[in-house]
Amino acid sequence: MTDLMQYGPRLFEGAMLTIAVALLSLLLSLLLGLLTASAKMSRNRLIHGIATLYTTIIRGVPDLVMMFLLFFGAQIGLNMITDLLYELYGWDLYIEINSFVAGVVTIGLIFGAYMGETFRGAFLAVDRGQIEAGRAYGMNHGQVFRRIRFPQMMRHALPGLSNNWMVLLKTTALVSVIGLTDMVRVAEEASKQTDQPFLFLGIVALVYLAIASVSEWGFSRLQERYDTGFVGGED
Amino acid sequence: MEWLTTLQAALTDHTVLSADNLARYGEGLVTTVQLVFASLVIGLFLAVPLAIGRSSKRRWISLPIYAYTYVFRGTPLLVQLYLIYYGLPSIDALRDWQYWEYIDRAHVWALVAFTLNTAAYTTEIFRGAIKNTPRGEIEAAKAYGMGYWLRMRRIVLPSAFRRALPAYGNEVIFMLHASAVASIVTIMDLTGAARFIVARTYSAFEPYLWVACIYLCLTFAILYLFRYLEKRLLAHLRPAGE
Amino acid sequence: MADTPIPLEVRNIHKSFGDNHVLKGLSLEARKGDVITLIGSSGSGKSTFLRCMNLLEQPDSGDIIVHGEPITFKQTRHGYEPSDWKQVVRMRAKLSMVFQNFNLWSHMTLLENVIEAPIQVLGKPKAVAVQHAMELLDRVGLAERAHYYPAQMSGGQQQRGAIARALAMDPEVMLFDEPTSALDPELVGDVLKVMRDLAEEGRTMIVVTHEMAFAHDVSSQVIYLHQGEVEEAGPPDQVLGNPSSPRLKQFLAPNR
Repeated sequence: MTDLMQYGPRLFEGAMLTIAVALLSLLLSLLLGLLTASAKMSRNRLIHGIATLYTTIIRGVPDLVMMFLLFFGAQIGLNMITDLLYELYGWDLYIEINSFVAGVVTIGLIFGAYMGETFRGAFLAVDRGQIEAGRAYGMNHGQVFRRIRFPQMMRHALPGLSNNWMVLLKTTALVSVIGLTDMVRVAEEASKQTDQPFLFLGIVALVYLAIASVSEWGFSRLQERYDTGFVGGED
Repeated sequence: MEWLTTLQAALTDHTVLSADNLARYGEGLVTTVQLVFASLVIGLFLAVPLAIGRSSKRRWISLPIYAYTYVFRGTPLLVQLYLIYYGLPSIDALRDWQYWEYIDRAHVWALVAFTLNTAAYTTEIFRGAIKNTPRGEIEAAKAYGMGYWLRMRRIVLPSAFRRALPAYGNEVIFMLHASAVASIVTIMDLTGAARFIVARTYSAFEPYLWVACIYLCLTFAILYLFRYLEKRLLAHLRPAGE
Repeated sequence: MADTPIPLEVRNIHKSFGDNHVLKGLSLEARKGDVITLIGSSGSGKSTFLRCMNLLEQPDSGDIIVHGEPITFKQTRHGYEPSDWKQVVRMRAKLSMVFQNFNLWSHMTLLENVIEAPIQVLGKPKAVAVQHAMELLDRVGLAERAHYYPAQMSGGQQQRGAIARALAMDPEVMLFDEPTSALDPELVGDVLKVMRDLAEEGRTMIVVTHEMAFAHDVSSQVIYLHQGEVEEAGPPDQVLGNPSSPRLKQFLAPNR
């Protein structure tokens, strides 16, 4: 029983894969989120429009459909490009989309839109006086952003980031349908093979709960730190 | 330029949008809407008493409800669906039940999973709204001789429902999108229809694009419905002149 | 007095918040037509005392007798508690409270606010309640605001509406908890005028207030509280016109 009918090690690998997908897509979504937020606050109407289109589509289409779209769509798109390159220049390339990359990219893309909204709200919440004070002391745009807006924005963004991360974590379960052997996939297989669904899926549920609980604790600590700085001024 | 002609052929080729396939999308749409609507309605009915219990000062009432919402909000819907889809049929006692054959269907299991899931989220939405009832309004109700249940029914819940409306609108959209996982357990919902057509026509892309558009339209419809409801039901919070 | 019971009698009310003993054995008797004003600096316990009368705060000990019926208390592990909450609910329906922050129910129109408790608590037919409510709203000068929501009205209008809501219960006693303290100065007058009218028509009222002129003009009795005890009490001419306690003199000084 200790190796869970030999599924133990595979389940563990699956859990590691889940965590890897979650963390990498988190990273990607944070980058995309910052980009989207800046684009949405841009005065350039084209850039603003593209960002709005992106967030609207992402928020209107189910994660799972998005995953299929990107996984299969990107492959077709790539094939078209490689075909074209072959015809035009005779370069013979074949790039196959890796399901791990596809999973990370899809989840990153989806949550980039949500992160964008979170960041935008948080940037707008930063007191204008703070920014003006930075300008008044001769800081340039980049300095104001790095030294003043970003750190202050994080305090406002944290609750939203925490919430997005929790949803993202649960969304990783969907990568099992594009062929990744994450822990959900392993548990599903094990359930069918051994007729012990409660055991395997129960363990997976517990792992998700454990990650969520640890993250919740971590985020509340982080929030405490940002808030203390806020109330007490300099520390 | 052979690829251009291929593209042209793909676009004029009606295999993806044949009458047969259109009917499939239609059926998928109906299945999705039915599943989502049924689970939302049942979930809503479950969530009201659960939220009242969750707001109770008595810990033996509020704690078990919290445990339920914690588990269902902390784990992926897909895992919950698998647990019910593979789990319940593995219980012998249930399989021996005389009505088993009537309930042993993917639709039923999906409905059960979706309902439990949305009920958990809705419970927490309502609990938050109940908790945010202005203290003074409750005191006024007490001072005018209203008991707990009368207060709950006339003062706390009506104002909590209104306050919960925007968050509940998000939950409805979330549920619509989450329902796509039904296709993983063989249900022919919208996503299921797309997957079926993909498997049959070898056009790996267009069916998904097509259902993505339908989901997008449904999302907008829900969004506008809730915006309208908010306008009607949250009128009391706006100062005069608006 | 044996034939008509006293509307409200409270005896020997004690209340502590933790180590802070805020009410030290306060008593009060409101006979029919009495207007009793409670004055004192903040922290004197006047609002807490008022809130103990309808059990929005629970006293640690003491008696409350509404219309000759004593509220029964029992000692539980949570402390001194009414033994029958149904009795409390019944008693509260006889005492209407007007709050500092109005506390109109925000999801109901003014008219709905006024008819709510008469219909739901007293069981009045809707038509009767609506007619009565419209008369009362007319009386406080808000007839044309009947279908407004509280958020759409000024503070003064909300408070007059809240008074109409209190009147709709045909209360034995009206409790006013600093009804003008949250209002802009220019809105105070309208509310006080409504209250003066009520006093003149013989309503039994207990009023916590900082409005000394109002207290002087309409009170049958003024009670000055200091740190949870009665420092001085009596007719307004005596308490406000010729105070004997140095503390009360000092308290009244800025108002002269």
